[in-house]
Amino acid sequence: MNARVDDNVVSRSLAQIGECGLFLLKVLAAIPRSGRYARETVRQLWFVGAMSLTIIMTCGLFVGMVLGLQLYHVLSIFGGTAATGTVVALSIYRELGPVVTALLFAGRAGTAVTAEIGLMRATDQIAAMELMAVDPLAYVAAPRFLAGLIAMPLLCCVFCALGIFGGHLVGVSWLGIDNGTFWSNMTDTVEVWQDIVNGVIWKSLAFGAVVALIAVFQGYTAPPTSEGVAYATTRTVVASSIAILALDFVLTAFLM
Amino acid sequence: MSQRKSYAVGTGLFIVLGFAALGYLATQTSSVANRHHGATYTVDAKFENIGQLKERAPVKIAGVRVGEVASIALAKGAPVADVKLAIDKRYADIPVDSVATVFTSGLLGDQYVGIEYGHARQYIADGGKLGLTRSSQPLEEMLGKFFGAGGGADAIGGSYDVTARFSNVGTLSAGSPVKMAGVAIGRVLSVQAEPGKLDALVTLAIDNRYNQIPDDSSAAVFTSGLIGSQYVAIQPGGSPDMLKNGDEMILTQSAMQLEDLIGKFLVNGSGSGDKKDSGSSATPAGKH
Amino acid sequence: MNAAASPDDTLIRIRGLTTVLNGKKVFDALDLDIPRGKITAIMGPSGTGKTTLLKHITGQMHGDAGQIAVDGKNVPELSREALYGLREKIGYLFQNSALLTDFDVFENVAFPLRQHTRLPEVLIRNIVLTKLQAVGLRGAARLMPSELSGGMARRVALARAIVFDPMLILYDEPFVGLDPIALNQVLKLIRTLNETLGITSVLVAHELSAIQRVADRICLIANGKIVAEGDPHGIENDGSPWTRQFFGGEADGPVPFQYPAGDYAEALGFPRAKA
Repeated sequence: MNARVDDNVVSRSLAQIGECGLFLLKVLAAIPRSGRYARETVRQLWFVGAMSLTIIMTCGLFVGMVLGLQLYHVLSIFGGTAATGTVVALSIYRELGPVVTALLFAGRAGTAVTAEIGLMRATDQIAAMELMAVDPLAYVAAPRFLAGLIAMPLLCCVFCALGIFGGHLVGVSWLGIDNGTFWSNMTDTVEVWQDIVNGVIWKSLAFGAVVALIAVFQGYTAPPTSEGVAYATTRTVVASSIAILALDFVLTAFLM
Repeated sequence: MSQRKSYAVGTGLFIVLGFAALGYLATQTSSVANRHHGATYTVDAKFENIGQLKERAPVKIAGVRVGEVASIALAKGAPVADVKLAIDKRYADIPVDSVATVFTSGLLGDQYVGIEYGHARQYIADGGKLGLTRSSQPLEEMLGKFFGAGGGADAIGGSYDVTARFSNVGTLSAGSPVKMAGVAIGRVLSVQAEPGKLDALVTLAIDNRYNQIPDDSSAAVFTSGLIGSQYVAIQPGGSPDMLKNGDEMILTQSAMQLEDLIGKFLVNGSGSGDKKDSGSSATPAGKH
Repeated sequence: MNAAASPDDTLIRIRGLTTVLNGKKVFDALDLDIPRGKITAIMGPSGTGKTTLLKHITGQMHGDAGQIAVDGKNVPELSREALYGLREKIGYLFQNSALLTDFDVFENVAFPLRQHTRLPEVLIRNIVLTKLQAVGLRGAARLMPSELSGGMARRVALARAIVFDPMLILYDEPFVGLDPIALNQVLKLIRTLNETLGITSVLVAHELSAIQRVADRICLIANGKIVAEGDPHGIENDGSPWTRQFFGGEADGPVPFQYPAGDYAEALGFPRAKA
C-alpha cells in the first residue's frame, strides 16, 4: 500500500507519457529492422488505412454537408453566401479535416491496433515471435506505427475532398450558390502551402504518428487479461483524443 | 499467396486514392486551380474599377449564368482593368452594344459581371470587345442605399443629372438617395466642394421616369429620423418648365446640424433654418 | 545432485541461478544439467517457477545471478543478434499454442521460414507440408487457428516449433486440457521427434503418468532448488519429503497447505491465547 501513496492521476499520467516516449525511441530504433517486414507494413496499411476509408468518407461527406448548411444560413444574414465555399474549404483544411480524421482514426484503427496487440500479448503470440527469433518491435510495432503514419495523411486528404464535395452538394446543388462563385472564392483564398501542406499534410502526419504510437504502446503494455485489453483500448481513445486536440493547438500556433 | 496479393492490391488502391484526393485538393480547390476549359469564346471588357471581382466569377445575362471571368489584368497604358470574359458558345448572340456591369450579389456578397443587351443587330465575336461598361459600385454607395431610409431608385431606365449647391451637406455622400414625396427617385452621384464659392456642389442622378419635375423645385438635405443617414428631398415647385439634364436647382436648403434641430425643438425658434444660404427663402421650416 | 555427465553430453548447464521477482526468491542458487538427446521433465508444485526457468533458458528473462549455458553459450551475456541466432535453434511449445491468429495453419508453420530465409515458395511448401504430415494435420493446412481444437492447435504449434529442425524443444505444459486421445497423440509425437531427429526435449508438466511414459529423467523443483532428480520410475521412492508429498499427492507437507499468514486467532479478532 505504501507504494501507492503517490499513485495519483498526475504521476500516473506522467509515468505513462514517459514510458510512451521511451517506447517511441524503441519503435523508431526498430524501424530500420522492420524493412524486411515491408510486406507486413503493407498489410497493416490495408487494415488501418483502406479499411477506415468507409467511415472517413462518410463522415467527411456529412461534415462538409453540415458546414455548407450552417455557413449558408449564417452567411445569408450578411448576404455573403458566396463565401460559403471559402469557409467550408478553410475550416476543413485547417482544422476539421485533420482533427476529425484523427479522432475517427483513433476510434476506428487505433482501438483495433490496441486490441490486436493486446490480445497477441495475452495469447503469447508476441512471446512466440520472440522465441522464433522475430523481433516483435520490428514485426508488430513498427509496421503498425508506419502504417498509421502513412495512412493518416492519405485518409485526411480523402476526408477533405469528400468534405468539399459535401459542402458543394449542399451549397451549390441544393441551396443554389453559384457554382463558379463557390469555386472562385475557394481557389482565391486557399493557398497550397499554407492551407494544404501546413494544414492538411503536416497536421495529419503528426496526428497519425501520435495516434499510431499511443495505440501500439497501449496494446504493447496492456496487462494480458481481457480486462487489461479492454482498459487499454479505452485509454487509446481517451489519450489519443486529448493528445490530438492539445497537439492541434500547438501545431496551429506554430504553423499558422 | 492470393490473400497477400489482395492486401497489396487493396493497399495500392488506397494509396492511389489518397494521393488522388491530395492532387484534387491542391489543384482544384486552391489558388493553382486550373482554368475552365469549356467551349467558350472570349470577350474583352474594360472597367474603371472592378471592386472585388475575381477570376472564375460568373458572368450573367438576365440572371442566367452564361460564362465566367477568365482573367483580370491592368490594361496597358491606362488605369483601367482589362477583364476577359469566357462566355459559353451557346450564348453567341450578344449584341455588340451591350453593357457589362460589375454587380454585387447582396450587400457583402461576391461580385459578378452582368451583361445587359443592347439593340445592335451585330453580335459580338470571339476576341471582341464590350465597349460599354459600368464599374463596380463602391461599398459606400451600397451602404447609402441600404441605410438611406428605403434605398435609392433602381435607375433601370437610365437617369439624368441635375446639380444643386448647398452651404452644408452634413454627412450626405455619393449614393445617398434622392426622394420626392418620400419616394426614391434617384441618388446622389457626387458631392464636391467648390472652394471658390464656399459651398458644396451636389450632382443628383434622377431616374428618367421622373422627368416631370418643375425647374423651380427646391432641394433640401434631410435626415431620416433624428440621427439617421441623410438624403436629398425634392419639393416640387409650380413652374411649367421641367428640369433637364445638366440643370441646376436654385432653391436649396442645407443640412441642419443636430444642435440646430434640438434648438428648434426646445425654443420653437424660427429663422435658424436659413443661416447664410444663398437663396433659401423658400420653404425654410415648412417641412417640419 | 549433478549428474555425472561429460560436458559434451550436457546441452544446458545452469549454475547458481538466482532470481528475485517482486521480492520473492524464485530461484535460489539453482544448479541443473540437461543432457543432450534426452527427454527431461521438470516437475514441481504450481508457482515454483518452472515456466520461468524455461524463459531463462530462452533469454526472455534474466536472473540476478548465475550462468545458463545453452550449447556452450552463456545466455544472459549474448547480444541481441546472437540470442536470436540461438533461438532459431530452439523450438518452444506454448501452453496455449500461441498460433498467430492472422494466418492460417500453413502460414503459421511457414512463418519462421518466411522470416528467416529467402527460400523459394515450392521449397517452403514442401517443408511445411512435411512438418504438417509429421503431426498428422496436412489436411488442415488451410484452416484458421480459431477453427482448430486445443489438441490440433498444439500439434500445429509443434509443427511450427520443429520447422527449422531445432536442437532443443521446450514444452511448456503440453498436456494441459487435452483429452486422452489428443494426449496420447502429443506424447507419441514428443517420443517420435526425440527418437527420429535426436532432438533434446525439456518438458514442464504436472501429469506424472504421462511423463512416466515419455521422459528419460525427472527433475523436481521446489523452493527455488532442484530437490529431487532421477529416472521416472525410481524417483518416487527416493525417500525425500518433497517427492513423497508431490508424487503421493499429500495436501500438507514441505509445501504447506496454508499460504503464509499471520496468527489465525488474531485475524479473527479473538484475544490471544495465554501461553
